[in-house]
This record gives sequence, structure tokens and C-alpha cells, in this order.
Amino acid sequence: MKNCKFEELIDEYLLNRLSEEKKEEFEEHYFNCPSCFEKTTQRNELLRVIKTKGDMIFEDEFRPHEARGASLAERILSFLTPKQWAMTAVSAAVILVIVFGVILRPNHPTFQIVSSETETRSGKSIELLSPMLDINAVPTEFRWAKSDKELEYKFYIFSNGNQLWTTTTKENFVVLPEEVRNLLKPMVKYSWEVKGFIPEGAIVAFSSKVYFRVIKTE
Amino acid sequence: MDLEEIFIKYRPVISFRVRKSIGAGNPDWEDIVNEVITNAIEKIQKGEFRGESSIGTFIYTITSRRIVDYIRQKGKVLRHAPQPADYPDPQERIEEKERVELMARALKRLKPKYRKVLYLYYYKEFSREEVAQKLGISPRRVSERVNYSQKLLKKYLKK
Repeated sequence: MKNCKFEELIDEYLLNRLSEEKKEEFEEHYFNCPSCFEKTTQRNELLRVIKTKGDMIFEDEFRPHEARGASLAERILSFLTPKQWAMTAVSAAVILVIVFGVILRPNHPTFQIVSSETETRSGKSIELLSPMLDINAVPTEFRWAKSDKELEYKFYIFSNGNQLWTTTTKENFVVLPEEVRNLLKPMVKYSWEVKGFIPEGAIVAFSSKVYFRVIKTE
Repeated sequence: MDLEEIFIKYRPVISFRVRKSIGAGNPDWEDIVNEVITNAIEKIQKGEFRGESSIGTFIYTITSRRIVDYIRQKGKVLRHAPQPADYPDPQERIEEKERVELMARALKRLKPKYRKVLYLYYYKEFSREEVAQKLGISPRRVSERVNYSQKLLKKYLKK
């Protein structure tokens, strides 16, 4: 099978080496060529892993200071006798137990949520209230139980497993925009879920995925 | 025209384009994507898409205009946007983190001749010709090794 001529631009694009004109040409192309788009995202993923984890991935062979590192390690090891090292390790373990076991113990215990057949997550549970199962009209509002903590919620709606729309809110409900409501067809199963996260970005609560279906239109 | 189908297909493309332009670490990207989609739906419903270009080009144009507006508003520079960063995006955090770890481990398993090319080409960002010169191979061979590395990675990840 003949390759698309734009494929050779993928790396240059991802490494920001294209002129503005060429860049725009390539971008317009991948909006029209699913094959080039797929290859671009796959290559981007590879590049991203190499950029973020390169230190770990290439640590063995390509680090010039590896030899110096070994002698430094030897010097550190000879700094204390084996007995002193053992005492240090025991003391460090005791301190860690105190810090993590007593001081940093969370106020609310967390638990495991089985959110799908293949995935188990840790965190608090978010209870979804409506809509669910068979409903009579296209829903405007999606509502869930508010957490006792101040959280930001991320709402997702899916059609056949594909994300249809998403938004973030501090309330315990979202109102679906008219344009998205118009996409919802009768007798089609849709699902939605909510994740709760603290301002720093870590997810601390999840809902399960709930299905709904509009059985009558207004 | 099935709007739902169109936007399920184009959401990842629009998202990729937006994140590439404003930086994946920028939390505004998702709002911009939603605005582009809403705007495109409105235009299609008003009959502004007349089929003079492909639907891909039509959506690309709306996306580009929205990005330019955003950058103007924020006074940011479009060119040389930062590479996708390891940002704690709640949507992706768990799944992506696991996948990144998995890929990094798979990359460590590659033979040194492939890892050397990836190291010089992507990590150190030497040009294809420079990598070829450093390793004493042809530029075409550099591309072949990069492509083959990606194939091997896919294979490792499927196992």
C-alpha cells in the first residue's frame, strides 16, 4: 500500500520544525486524513514518553557519567559501617511508620470502586441521581449527590462508548447545552459519569457509569 | 448529515490540534474544543457548510480561528508551543500514566541499535541527517529504525 506523502512531515511537525505555511498545510491534511492523524497521534505518544521518561529509558547505555556514579556510590557506602547502616535503616523505617501511619492518616477512609469490568479505582464514590434508565424527554439537567468536601466535578456523556461532550463544574449538576441536547436521539442508549477532583488536579472521587435512554420525544 | 457521528469522529482531531497549539498543560484546551464543536454544529445547522470544501477542512478552519482568537486574548505566542507536558489532567491521569509507564518499560526492552536512534532523534532532537552521521548509517535507515521501533512497541504493548 502506498504511503501518504504527508507522512514524512509527521516528525517535523511534532518537533516544531515546519514553517508556518507547511504546518498549516499539514494540520489541514490530518483533519481530512484519518490515517495520517492516527500515525501522528501514535508518534506524538512515543515522543511524549521519550521526553518525559527519557532519563529512565536511556539511563543504562547513554549516560556518560555512569562510571563516576559508581565510584560515588562506593564512597557513600563506605561512609558508614554495615552495622551503622542497619541501625540507620531501622530508624528510618520507624520514622516512616510514624509519619505515614499516624500523622498523615486520612480523615476519611477511602475504598476501592469497581467502575467497570476491567477497571478498579481508589477513591470516594459519587452517587448519580438523574437521569437514568428509560426517560420520557431529552434531559436538560444531570444531577448527582454533592460531596461533603469542596470538589470540582468533571462530567462526561458518552454515546456507544465514545465521549460526546464533557465539562467541568463546582456544582453538583450540569445543564446540557442546546446543541448537545439536539444530538441525543430517541431509543438510543447513552451513558454518563462524573469524576471529582481537588484543585491540585488529583482525582479523589468517581461515579459508576449510568445509562439512560429517551423513550419518547417532547 | 449525522452530526453526532461527525463530532465523535472529529473531537479527537480538534483536541489534538488545540493541545498542540496552546500546550497540553493548558487547562483551557477542553473549553476551546467544546466551543469549536458547538460553533461548528451551529454553522452546519444554519446551512453555512455548503460542501465547497470537505467537512474536515470546514472544521479545521473553525478550530484554527478559535485558537488564534484564544492566543490573541491571552497574548500568547502560537509558534513553538510547549510539548505536551506531564500535567495532572483528571481525565487522562490514571489511564495515561499507566500507559506511559508501560511504554517506557517497553522502550527499555528494545535492542540498543533502536534505542540509540530514538535517543538521538527524539530525546536529543538531532536531525535525521545528524543521527545518520553519528551512527554511520544512512538517513533512510534512521527512519526505518524509528518506524520499526514503533512497530515493536505496539507488539510489546499488545502482549
